[in-house]
Amino acid sequence: MFIWAWLIFIFPLIGFVLSWSIGRYRKMLGGVIASFMVGLSLLASYETFLYVNSLGHPLYQSYQWFYNIKIGVYVDHITLIMVLMVSLVSTIIHLFTMYYMKGDPGRHVFFAETSLFTAGMLGLVVSSNLVVFFLFWELVGLCSYLLIGFWFFKPNATAAAKKAFIVTRVGDLLFLIGMAVIYNALVGYPGLGGNSPLSIPFLINNASSIASYMGATNLGIAAVLLLGGAAGKSSQFPLHVWIPDAMEGPTPVSALIHAATMVTAGVYLVARTYNIFFYSAPFAMYSVAIIGAFTALFAGTLGIVVNDLKRILAYSTISQLGYMMAAIGLAPVIGAAGISFGMFHLVIHAMFKALLFLTAGAILISLMDLRDVRQMGGLWRKMPVTITLFLIGSIALAAIPPTSGFYSKDTIISASWLYFSHYGSFQAFLPWLFLSLGALLTVLYTFRMFFLVAVGKPRSHLAEHAKEAPIIALIPLFILAFFSLFGGYLFQVPFYNYLATGVTLPSIPAYIEDIPLIYVAIGFLVALYLYGTSRWKSIDLSRNFFYNLLKWKYYMDVLYTRIIAERIILPVSAAFSTVENSYNSGVDRTGSGALSFGTLLRRMQDGVVENYFIVLIIGISIVFLLVELFKVVI
Amino acid sequence: MLMVITFFLSMILAFASFFMGKKARLFSIASAWLMAILVGIYIYMTFGGGYHGGIVSQYNFQIAPSIGISFTTGVTGFTGALIALSAVIILVSLMVVEKDSENSIYGLILSTEVGLFGLLISRNFLFFYIFWEVVLIPMYFLIIRFGGAKRDRVGLKFFVYTHIGSVFILLAFFTLYNYYYLSTGEFTLDMGTLMNTAFITGHIPVFWRDFMLFGFLIGFLVKLPSFPVHSWLPDTYQTAPYPGTIILAGGLSLMGGYGLFGILLPASGIFSSTLLYFLAFLGILSLVYFSFVAMFQKDIKRMMAFASAAAMGFVTISFAVGILEHSYTQVLELSGGMFQIIAHGFIMALIFASLYYIRRNTGSEMTYGLGGIYREAPLLSSFMLAGLFASLGLPGLAGFIGEFSIVVGVYQGITWWIFFIILGMIVTASYHVWVAQRALYGPYNEHLGHIRDINRKEFATLCGLLVLIFVLGVFPNLLDGLLTAYVGGLI
Repeated sequence: MFIWAWLIFIFPLIGFVLSWSIGRYRKMLGGVIASFMVGLSLLASYETFLYVNSLGHPLYQSYQWFYNIKIGVYVDHITLIMVLMVSLVSTIIHLFTMYYMKGDPGRHVFFAETSLFTAGMLGLVVSSNLVVFFLFWELVGLCSYLLIGFWFFKPNATAAAKKAFIVTRVGDLLFLIGMAVIYNALVGYPGLGGNSPLSIPFLINNASSIASYMGATNLGIAAVLLLGGAAGKSSQFPLHVWIPDAMEGPTPVSALIHAATMVTAGVYLVARTYNIFFYSAPFAMYSVAIIGAFTALFAGTLGIVVNDLKRILAYSTISQLGYMMAAIGLAPVIGAAGISFGMFHLVIHAMFKALLFLTAGAILISLMDLRDVRQMGGLWRKMPVTITLFLIGSIALAAIPPTSGFYSKDTIISASWLYFSHYGSFQAFLPWLFLSLGALLTVLYTFRMFFLVAVGKPRSHLAEHAKEAPIIALIPLFILAFFSLFGGYLFQVPFYNYLATGVTLPSIPAYIEDIPLIYVAIGFLVALYLYGTSRWKSIDLSRNFFYNLLKWKYYMDVLYTRIIAERIILPVSAAFSTVENSYNSGVDRTGSGALSFGTLLRRMQDGVVENYFIVLIIGISIVFLLVELFKVVI
Repeated sequence: MLMVITFFLSMILAFASFFMGKKARLFSIASAWLMAILVGIYIYMTFGGGYHGGIVSQYNFQIAPSIGISFTTGVTGFTGALIALSAVIILVSLMVVEKDSENSIYGLILSTEVGLFGLLISRNFLFFYIFWEVVLIPMYFLIIRFGGAKRDRVGLKFFVYTHIGSVFILLAFFTLYNYYYLSTGEFTLDMGTLMNTAFITGHIPVFWRDFMLFGFLIGFLVKLPSFPVHSWLPDTYQTAPYPGTIILAGGLSLMGGYGLFGILLPASGIFSSTLLYFLAFLGILSLVYFSFVAMFQKDIKRMMAFASAAAMGFVTISFAVGILEHSYTQVLELSGGMFQIIAHGFIMALIFASLYYIRRNTGSEMTYGLGGIYREAPLLSSFMLAGLFASLGLPGLAGFIGEFSIVVGVYQGITWWIFFIILGMIVTASYHVWVAQRALYGPYNEHLGHIRDINRKEFATLCGLLVLIFVLGVFPNLLDGLLTAYVGGLI
């Protein structure tokens, strides 16, 4: 038993208990303990990294949990990348949070919950069985719920927490059915050999024989159901509605959960069970590609019109998650390189998005939680270090050439062109179209946000009095900034080959390769023209149809809340409730009917001998009369 | 033998606690602890060394053997777990008795424990039936003496409704008794002998077989409860005092579940597939219907009553589909159903106990009457929240193992109907989270004034329950091992 692999998620669990129980009495210590424990799990991740690399094959240890479900750890290269990323980002965010949450009366609870979240996330990554995976999957969902609603007195925050939980729950239950399909198909499989039917190494190592045993279409259905779960967690197209609202939570939570780690769990699930998708019917992989690509474009369009700083970042997160998902979905053509591309973008995205959110957090602190970008402006002069870090994050997000974002994202767009040139059909063209247009939109909303925040003159009283955050709080952010700038250049090719063997960068015609760069230039110039100056103030779009469509988020929230929840679920519930009430009162009436019949019988026995005598006489007369009547009739 | 001694001891202690006057509270809590510890020792001694199905601790006390009456005892892995559950919920319900209650309430609660123990260890139908009724009578008095509004009426309704169910059980086993005599010339009321597929299908005419099945099912489904024989449930849960509600949710559902899995399952061959499909349909209908009804309730206690009934829908589904299909998943789903009964008892005890403290500290149990109480009572709200999440089946807590086993197990038997189960689960999640949002979180309802949080003793009660739920959720094999062994011995 290699203990470090288990300690990866056990350290933060200890941190959860300690920072809650000690933090109650020494508020200061809560954050210190939590950060320390998460730091220890970074150490454990590193130890595991060294061990598994020296081992030469994946680490797999499992014990019986219940019936034929096993609990255990499975660590291969994808897992190692994830645990290192999660524990590193989580440590950095915990350090920053000690500054962000200082003075909050409930901060020990906050740190306990973030520790629990980190434990859940790391446990999810290393778990060797889909059921245990699901356990941690829901645990991070719970932590997300608790942390979004951390400021429980804000009605918006609690409503957003509820929404996040229910929407992801829909996805989770699809995931559950997916597991049910796989379990039922495989429980009698002769090649099981003592494995649990839901064991991840078993599934991914025998995927091709499983596909021929249960049929590629059935496996594809299971895969699409798993994708449903991934879409809920990673907020892909139909289930994307919860992330923007989740921005009501504290900003470190947005950075940790809703940008860097938890929302990537869905992508990780697809990468983890990649072989299931790969060997099932083609529609499974194609749905991954098309849902990812469509989300990348779709969320990008929404990001352009939002004015809330954190929500802009939220939409950009959704859009980037779409890129990762799409990269994995391209696998029928580029093979396992799809995982490499997707995971590399995942890691790079975690770095620059955490950086963006944390700098946004520093900005929001100094602006007293004013989140409307139209009222900011001119912050570059007021808080130069923070905004420089913010700029680094922005250019990485916008994939400006030498930054990491360029390396990770342009590879995906090029790969999608390869996908098209291999199939040559219109359906295969769509991913490239969506992804490259998404690149244009990314630049547009990123620089719109940046120009509105950083340049020009302060447009509100709060923005005029903004102050730099203490430099010690910003130090952890420099690590993130370093990776955002140079991570791509340094690690791209070794990373690709670490996850899959023999990955080559997609080679496509130069004029196609340049299209995303042209888009970047166009996007930047448009943003500069409109938002680098004050021209945007004179544009009135309030009557424009498309603007309103975007402003109302394509009416998706209206559909879910007003139509499905309020016009379908609630009336059905009211109707059932009415049925229940009338059924219940019907039963009551039957009961009281029986009672009153009993009362009638009781009244007849009133103990007065005369009455009995009268009844007796009447009764006997009736009997005689009847007898006589029968005689006549017969 | 220890279990039989514990049972007789519980009888003596329950009787004694009626005469304890002011010391009744202390005495009854002490004796409930004693019971719990004895049961714990018994279970550790019996099942700690490994259990491989079948009945253990069988004893026979002859009373009138010529007409088949004898006090026969026997414990299976399943009943062992249920005995432990009843010991715990009785203990919890004693903890949440209001301080200034009349002393007889303690004796009444302990008497239900006698009934529960008795019916679980009896392997003779007559004694089973007697103890089955013994549970009802103290419950009736608990409701009409200590209940809320309209308690006389609701108490009567509860008693009559569930008693009608019981009478059908009586008729059902009299049918068995009669035909056993006709076929062999012997009188017996032994469960193991009578609940035997070969005997029932071989010697009983179809009509009387169906009559017998109908009788058992009515009796057990009323207790469970299942749609459409659930009318006693919402009113009774709402009107009963909190200790009574905990016993109703844990104990009475336990009785129904024991009836299905403990008594009918060994004779599973007598069910026709039509009947099983019908039962599975009833289960799905219960789940969806109760979830939707629960969503529209404003009173949290009433809402949780429906939530409890919806959770029992899972039990019916797993029972029906588990017998229906002869495949590899049978053990998983049947043990899941039993796990669900036990987990549900603990979870409902946690929810109603925290709700009692909320009610006592704030004076309200309506969703809109509360609001933001996390600010004033963070510990209490956290326990309530934990209970709500356990009830909606969050992994890591006990509720998940049962629901997971059932959903995964029944998929092959009911295929696309599983989407109705999923619909029920989504609605369940929605209203649980909705209650948390409105009642526990959000801006504080200033009309409540200053409310106090729970003290250490109350914290210990709730925390103990939560730890139990958590342990069952994380180490399910402690319990699931017993259940799978039990099921494995039957099929």
